[in-house]
Amino acid sequence: MELIIKNGIVYDPLNGVKGEAMDIYVKDGKIVEKADGSKAQVIDATNMLVLPGGVDMHTHFAGPKVNLARMLRPEDHYKDPQRKRGVRRCGTGYSIPSVFTTGYWYAEMGFTLAFEAANPPLKMMHVQDELNDTPLIDKGAYPVFGNNWYVMESLSKGKIEECAAYIAWVLSAIKGYAIKVVDPGSVEEWKWGKGQIGDMDKQVENFGITPKEIVRGLAKVAKLLNLPHHLHIHTNMLGNPGNSEVTLETMKAVKDLVTNGELLIHMAHLQFHSYGGKEKDWNSFRSGSEEIMKYINKNPYVSFDMGQIAFTDTTTMTADGPFEYNLYEITKNKWMNADIEFETGSGIVPIEYKRDNFVHSIMWAVGLELALLSKDLWRVALSTDHPNGAPLTFYPRVISWLMSKKARERVLKLIPSSARSKTLLGSIDREFNFEEIAIITRASPAKLLGLKEKGHLGIGADADIAIYDINPKALDPERDYRKIRKAFRFAKYTIKDGKIVYKDNEIIEHFIAKTYWVNPHIREDLYNYINSELERNFDKYYTVKISNYKIPEGYLVKSKRIDIITKL
Amino acid sequence: MKEYRDILCPVCGCLCDDIEVNVENNSIVKVQNACAMGASKFLNFSKERLKNPLMRKNGELVPCSLNEAIDHISRALVKAEFPVIYGFALSSCEAIKVGIELAEEIGAVIDNQTTVCHGPGVQGLQDIGQVSCTLGEVKHRADLIIYWGSNPQDAHPRHFERYSLLPEGRFRGGKKDRKLVVVDVRKTATARMADFYIRIEQGKDFELISALRALLRFEDIEQEQVAGIPKEKVEELAEMMRSCEYGVIFFGQGLTQTIGKDRNGDNLFALVRDLNKFTKFLVMPIRGHYNVTGSNEVLTWQTGFPFGVDLSKGYPWYNPGDTTVVDIFRRGENDLTLVVGSDPLAHLPRRATMHILEHPLFTIDPSMSLTAMASNVVIPSAFYGLEAEGTAYRMDGVALPLKKIVEPPEGILPDEEILRRILEKVKEIRGK
Amino acid sequence: MREIKLSLKEPFIPPLDCSVINTDNFYQNSLEEIKALKIWRGNREVSLEDVFSIHEENISEQGDIKIYIEGDLSKARRIGQGMSFGEIIIKGNYGLYLGAHMKGGKITVYGDCGSWVGVEMEGGFIEVKGNVGDYLASSYRGTTKGMKGGTILVNGNCGVEACGWMSGGIVKVMGNSGIFPGIHMKGGIIYVKGDCAGRAGANMIAGRVIINGKVDDILPSFKIEEVRGSVKVGDEKIEGPFYVFVGDLSDEGDGRLFVHVNNNPHLKKYEEYIP
Repeated sequence: MELIIKNGIVYDPLNGVKGEAMDIYVKDGKIVEKADGSKAQVIDATNMLVLPGGVDMHTHFAGPKVNLARMLRPEDHYKDPQRKRGVRRCGTGYSIPSVFTTGYWYAEMGFTLAFEAANPPLKMMHVQDELNDTPLIDKGAYPVFGNNWYVMESLSKGKIEECAAYIAWVLSAIKGYAIKVVDPGSVEEWKWGKGQIGDMDKQVENFGITPKEIVRGLAKVAKLLNLPHHLHIHTNMLGNPGNSEVTLETMKAVKDLVTNGELLIHMAHLQFHSYGGKEKDWNSFRSGSEEIMKYINKNPYVSFDMGQIAFTDTTTMTADGPFEYNLYEITKNKWMNADIEFETGSGIVPIEYKRDNFVHSIMWAVGLELALLSKDLWRVALSTDHPNGAPLTFYPRVISWLMSKKARERVLKLIPSSARSKTLLGSIDREFNFEEIAIITRASPAKLLGLKEKGHLGIGADADIAIYDINPKALDPERDYRKIRKAFRFAKYTIKDGKIVYKDNEIIEHFIAKTYWVNPHIREDLYNYINSELERNFDKYYTVKISNYKIPEGYLVKSKRIDIITKL
Repeated sequence: MKEYRDILCPVCGCLCDDIEVNVENNSIVKVQNACAMGASKFLNFSKERLKNPLMRKNGELVPCSLNEAIDHISRALVKAEFPVIYGFALSSCEAIKVGIELAEEIGAVIDNQTTVCHGPGVQGLQDIGQVSCTLGEVKHRADLIIYWGSNPQDAHPRHFERYSLLPEGRFRGGKKDRKLVVVDVRKTATARMADFYIRIEQGKDFELISALRALLRFEDIEQEQVAGIPKEKVEELAEMMRSCEYGVIFFGQGLTQTIGKDRNGDNLFALVRDLNKFTKFLVMPIRGHYNVTGSNEVLTWQTGFPFGVDLSKGYPWYNPGDTTVVDIFRRGENDLTLVVGSDPLAHLPRRATMHILEHPLFTIDPSMSLTAMASNVVIPSAFYGLEAEGTAYRMDGVALPLKKIVEPPEGILPDEEILRRILEKVKEIRGK
Repeated sequence: MREIKLSLKEPFIPPLDCSVINTDNFYQNSLEEIKALKIWRGNREVSLEDVFSIHEENISEQGDIKIYIEGDLSKARRIGQGMSFGEIIIKGNYGLYLGAHMKGGKITVYGDCGSWVGVEMEGGFIEVKGNVGDYLASSYRGTTKGMKGGTILVNGNCGVEACGWMSGGIVKVMGNSGIFPGIHMKGGIIYVKGDCAGRAGANMIAGRVIINGKVDDILPSFKIEEVRGSVKVGDEKIEGPFYVFVGDLSDEGDGRLFVHVNNNPHLKKYEEYIP
């Protein structure tokens, strides 16, 4: 199948294309130099914005905790029924959409790749089940390791290679993509009912290791394994006043590991970690974005995604069990907890972010400040930590806030003045242009994930393309931010693997795209050692057999294995 | 002879995955590690089974071809205005997916056995939430284990051994480090092992939970007895719960199917939630059929709702009491029933099942159940985990692979394949 | 005044989703348009006139709109959904979700009703001459918002879990109530003239549950406060004396449960706890 996208206004930051009218040729799912005009289907994209398919590098859309949240909240679904229409399967929204609906919503917005951000290895078969059922996007999943017993024990003994070999074994066995850390040390202590650890140098009970040592150890492991994506961390004290200190400490903890100007640590949903003020004192709550961004701008080994919030009813879900308990105590909403043996935990609490709430309105400003204060957008990705900050359908709104000061001011006017004074947002004039939006929603996340065939429209790239019905040359985003919102919410065309899957408000194809995972190759003796250790001890650690824990590659509907030559 | 290890036991929600099976001439000759229930299934499953599709002609069920059976069912499904598809707790998740697609295609209500077992627990969860964990957490940490209205010694024989009281965990050395409490109306096999047994008056679970919750808030109880239990004993139980290091409650149908049903679950979840102010406390249902959890999971990720999903209007809608089969049957609203691996005539209240006999009734089942005997068409199916592979979910939501260890009898297909053929036929009839 | 009369043509098996039958909707439409309105009979969309014969009478300048519906409507649901004015009169037994999300106007049913009468109701008046099913004036599963306002009068009995998650309005049940009246209640009043099967006021945070008849047991998480001579339900004064309990203490609730002293001599033991 061949496709020509004619005369669109193309932004392709990775290839230095900045709003040029040009043709794009597609053949067999890839971008090619030239297509045969007589056989190809032609899309006239004159006066339309053409971008690489969107990349969501931090989102919670599939797996055990997402499904528990769906189960917890029928009321979230009643208000957003999704009707069957043609090939479009039925489903439900609103903040925790069912799998088909999730795939369609991404496609509607021109997104073609999403990474599920926190997954317990023990329940990875569930994650793969849902990924197998999520249509129209490529995807992958980050397993969590920050409270894993094997990790904590090997690191506490200084056995970095053993820890790396173990993680290589797990990633390959359960088909994961990167190393995710969630609230290192705290989740293990939460399993005894204790709260979040705020002191990065405190020893985790029973394990003789500190959160800082876990972070450092895993950053080293990610380097040793040559993983395409560096260490992805949700650091300690999420959601607490004054947590920017812990965030800075986390970043500083790995600084000396940088050897060659490489990226080393990805700070997930940074908004939730960038607050000033005093611990436990909500009155002192204020934006901490300035000191955070001062550090990140100077230190190119750190990347982050925004974790922007929006004022709506949504659902928080995270492997950070102790945080969710705190949130339950504050909101008294329904609360789910699901601890996972040997590995991690998780919690779920619904929340309604309110514009007239002092804390929520500061949170809203902080997320935008982080992006707007960045001096290097190649280390920034747009996210709402879906659905923690807002459902994924709010990305267009976030884009409009970033592009239009006027859009921001409309909200700023409505938040409490006591909150406004605790933020910087009002003093920031910066407005992103289309190229910058293309960076933070496409090029940068693809690059941070180490996916060379994604996030751009160069020859050989996957033909994942979004066409929006707006003319970037004729539109003033500052004034017409509503048009921006509308255009980014419903693309004119979305092309996945060279096929038009969405067009003019209709899903026209339903298929399952690729699932990315890494297969790190390690020395045979090391592999054998780890394998025998695990085989010997598995029954002690777990309640399932090691052979049933592993997931065969054939379990994935469309496996995309990335073989890695590691330093081991 | 072939030897298989790490086989899943397709019987109860424990989904033990350490079974060893020897197969000779396509027949299971030896089973190790299984409980009596499991071993019996492995050794005897193929003894009394249905070998042929059947169709009712002149009032009699007579053998027919599979194509004939599928054609008949498909035509009826296309005609039906409010069909119900029910079952799936003994199917693989892959089969459930096809069942949902079929329900969506024809505009049916799809429901699973949750509706008559742990549905009330799920509903309670939807009001309060549930503080829970995987079973290995209990093995490693729990020092207080409470079975409430559940009797695993009889119904889930390896629950003690593998997951709760007996295993040696990282922080607990087995039974000596744990206390066992049983709350039940009679002294069951499980209760006989208890360190502390509470005989509760039939149907008074809610009252006892309310009293415990009030005591946790340091309120006084203005009654001499609660649920037939002296106040002092209730206070003792509350103190035991508050002062343990790591407690867990496993509840069964003794809680969810007695007076108050969903509200018992609701209140129990609130009790466990409240206990987390003092210590770590968790709660988990003891699920019956081996993949009833999986049927909730798949329905939830595809439609947003765990059971009783009405797809008649082209989108999912759920409200237990409205969209659940017992209620639909009782109101006499459905005009067709397709049963997949269940026996509603044997298990549902008679008042509810009288209605389904008046309309087309079809059954897909490996054996000749009561419902199959009353059906218009019966299609025999393969046994998952024995004759067909797939995915199943343990009671704590851990997904595990069911394996195929013997060949099914010739011509016998698994649910997934049968349903897929029906789906294709339905689409063909509707001209797609 | 427009008067529109619907009568059921023939009995049917599948449920009938009649959410289009409400006064707001009919008022804006001509008779022909009303006849063509789509409703769901099971999984089929049919027009209203396929199911009902429909007539319009008494068109006059005064008043707004009245809809009369007759027949065995026990499988009909969602009549009067979201309506804000006018009147619906149903003659016959009726199914589920009567007056769901209703904001104003009046619905009268001469017969029995199924479950979820007045679910998430915000205003207006519903009267049922017969019995009603479960979840009267309550919420959908998982939604923690029941009836917010308005009045419901049930002349017969009600099923279980009446007024679940209710936050405002008045519900009067002249017959008996099943278990759990006022469960998770956050405000408003439920008055049961007859007996209650038990667990009144479970998990309530605020509001009033009044049981005039007999109730077997009080939940252990309620505490007696006083004996009061009478209690007001809207503008009606109900004569006591009543035991007044506070609860549900298991939810740190401050609701009030009134139980008639004379009909419940077995609760006399509570008197010693009166502070």
